[in-house]
Amino acid sequence: MQAKTSKNREQKIAYFMDLLSHDVLNNNQAVLGYLELILASSVIDKKTRKYAEKAVSHIRTSTILVDNVKRLMVTRDLSPSELKPTDLLAAMNGAEREVVRMFPDRKIGVKIPAGPKQVLVIGDGAAGDLVLNMLVSMVRLDSSNSVTLELKMSETVSRGRKYWQVTLADPTAEMPKIAKDRSIEEAYDEDSSIAVKMVGILYCRMMAEMLGGGFEVRELNPKSESKGALFVATLLQAGEA
Amino acid sequence: MTSVLIVDDELFIVELYRDILQLRGYKIVGTAFDGEEAVRKYSATPEKPDVIIMDHRMPVMNGVQATREIIRMNPKQKVIFVSADVMVEKEARDAGAVDFLPKPFRMDDLIDKMHKVSEQ
Repeated sequence: MQAKTSKNREQKIAYFMDLLSHDVLNNNQAVLGYLELILASSVIDKKTRKYAEKAVSHIRTSTILVDNVKRLMVTRDLSPSELKPTDLLAAMNGAEREVVRMFPDRKIGVKIPAGPKQVLVIGDGAAGDLVLNMLVSMVRLDSSNSVTLELKMSETVSRGRKYWQVTLADPTAEMPKIAKDRSIEEAYDEDSSIAVKMVGILYCRMMAEMLGGGFEVRELNPKSESKGALFVATLLQAGEA
Repeated sequence: MTSVLIVDDELFIVELYRDILQLRGYKIVGTAFDGEEAVRKYSATPEKPDVIIMDHRMPVMNGVQATREIIRMNPKQKVIFVSADVMVEKEARDAGAVDFLPKPFRMDDLIDKMHKVSEQ
């Protein structure tokens, strides 16, 4: 009886989350549209244009956050075997376009590996969200104006199951110490204000685990002064769930 | 001039599309605030719009159902589906929508799609 009540309550919360997210996205659409109208005006000065462009990029960030919430709500009730295969290369290309648009005042370069035509992993749209969150989180760790990110892929086998390992490297990123090997529960319990700052990384870790894989954060060059950062996501190959 | 019917249950969204599309030289031939109103207005209009911009989550009749009805009346009608519900894309395309844009989108992306669709 208690389990049933708790399930009903969870379902109700899921409905509200869905309705609220939908409303936020509609409002983001209106703000984005009117900002674009301002930007299209020929009479605005340079400074105002810059402010409006910054606001546009924050709308995109806000939308990604809402999408993350929606994705978590959908994915949490599914096992990896219930998720459709998705093409990792297509996800990388889509995420590259997106991250460049999100930071219009910075020069972002993303190197994507040339590989087979399709690299299928389990994850439906969640795998694409994961790659985008990796890129965005890395850019946030890098204060330089010109950011070069490099994605690589390799196949690994663990406990008899095949995975695609995706690494994202940035030699000029500065990794927060707390980001290493920390679960969301630990980070939140310790100091939720720190957890807020690394929410993108924590999201990647949680999502990768929900998809049957894992996520690690490492220093790229531990021995040099500028250590850089490396994200390693491991995702189950399609058909391995 | 490309003619457009806008279907969305949020007045502020309808106004936004109207403001932008008119500025870009499109002719807004009608607006509807739910799927049923869209179907009714569509069937009553002798001169069909070149493009319909269709939302999904609306009262009375949703966008997928409305698209299906409209395509049944006129299989050549161009419907661009716009929705915050990305999971509905396949259903929208199966119903006959020629393209899909997840909300929020840049207006340039909508204009690009309108351009491509009206040239098909």
